[in-house]
Amino acid sequence: MSITEKILCTKTHEYILKNDDGTYTVGLTDYAVEQLGDIVFLELPETGTTYSKGDSFAAVESVKAASEIYMPISGEVTDVNTALVESPETLNEDVYEKGWLVKINPTGDTSEQDDLLEYEDYKEEVE
Amino acid sequence: MVVKQTILHDKHVQLGAKMVDFAGWHMPVQYVSIVEEHNTVRNGVGLFDVSHMGEVFISGKDSLEFLQKIVPQDISKLEYEKAVYCQLPNKNGGLLDDLIIYKLGINYYLIICNASGIEGDVNWMAINAKDYDVKIDNQSHNYSLLAVQGPKADELLRTMGLDTIQDSFTIKSAKILNHKMYVSRTGYTGEDGYELLVENKFAEDLWDKILEYGKPFGIKPIGLGARDTLRLEAALPLYGNDLDMETTPVEAGLSWSLPRDKKEDYNGKTVITEQLANGGQKKLIGIKMLDKNIARHEYEVYFQGEKVGYITSGGISPVLGCNIAMAYVKNIKEICTGSIVQVMIREKLHDAEVVKRPFINKRNKVRN
Repeated sequence: MSITEKILCTKTHEYILKNDDGTYTVGLTDYAVEQLGDIVFLELPETGTTYSKGDSFAAVESVKAASEIYMPISGEVTDVNTALVESPETLNEDVYEKGWLVKINPTGDTSEQDDLLEYEDYKEEVE
Repeated sequence: MVVKQTILHDKHVQLGAKMVDFAGWHMPVQYVSIVEEHNTVRNGVGLFDVSHMGEVFISGKDSLEFLQKIVPQDISKLEYEKAVYCQLPNKNGGLLDDLIIYKLGINYYLIICNASGIEGDVNWMAINAKDYDVKIDNQSHNYSLLAVQGPKADELLRTMGLDTIQDSFTIKSAKILNHKMYVSRTGYTGEDGYELLVENKFAEDLWDKILEYGKPFGIKPIGLGARDTLRLEAALPLYGNDLDMETTPVEAGLSWSLPRDKKEDYNGKTVITEQLANGGQKKLIGIKMLDKNIARHEYEVYFQGEKVGYITSGGISPVLGCNIAMAYVKNIKEICTGSIVQVMIREKLHDAEVVKRPFINKRNKVRN
């Protein structure tokens, strides 16, 4: 199964991927990054910070513009991709393997995922 | 509002450009990558479609007197086939637009203005033309403008048969591949280069041929995204960002373009003359961010804990490898080259140093 078959996406272009240990990886979709163009700056939160679904938790800037990144579900940050902050241009190459943003422990109900879209439906929605 | 297209619109789409609406025009913002396109122009040569810009021809026996009335610059000193950077102030010195005026003959001038300004500029000119024998001929819809910019631009156009020798800020009627056109050694990138003004019917062929002849030079088509980062490094103002109706040319840091001894009255002369002597309410500064954050249009600027202004244009500098911006701040002498100011970015203050403009010199020599 390819990674895009396992993720769920928001209409604001974030994705979540469930890991075997119960945590979720949060990132930006490839479509979002393609629209942004050359990524030049990334701001990520610190481990231990908690967010509710819909909170802005990070910021990304391309040459063109600055964008906020929102939490697809509520959770506590357990891991941060600090390597990506050092070289945010990696996002332009790969948003799933090297370009993930944070890992979170979910703190909300699974019903928070009801409005998330499967990748194919997301693509149809945004294109 | 109907979004307009240049003659070259379909070429951009075929080349895979990302298209955006800009000043009412559907224009390419980038073909592949803004940074790559930026570096292509700094190191080689790039081709821009800037046909959205306006071309207005001025003729009639009072042409000179009319132009003297509408711009602060002294057009009587403009020689045949020369160009001069000008502004179009209202009666209070605020700017309707910035322009380049070219002298094409006796009582015959060309004005190139911003796409966003065409309609307002022409209306303003018509109002000001009442007492003059002058014809204002807006030919924007009949002409395409291609910019060939970069250190290899001259050599490329020579291989295409450019048959004139031109200094910077000159315009000549010339032939390239047997197409007659106006060739002007001007641009908006801080690099050497030319702008080619052709009738629409030649535009597509010229575009294709430049890309074809440009292959050995590594030419690339360049979008408006790189046009913006290029002009920012050169600290060239963008109307709507750095210039507007509330800003005089003195405040905009354009005093270098303003004559002190022009005898004729012109729109805004009282205010502009007074500000040339005493300075304006605000002043334009260049800043370099001291961390990786990017200052963007309208972000607030602070100095010693007090809000003193706002960013007008900001972004990355691929040449300097840091982030740069221009800002209007209170006109106080404490804010000067070397001062540290702060920019509010996502509710946090980030340090920036006031630096000289332009951020880089021509020929890529980095300014210290």
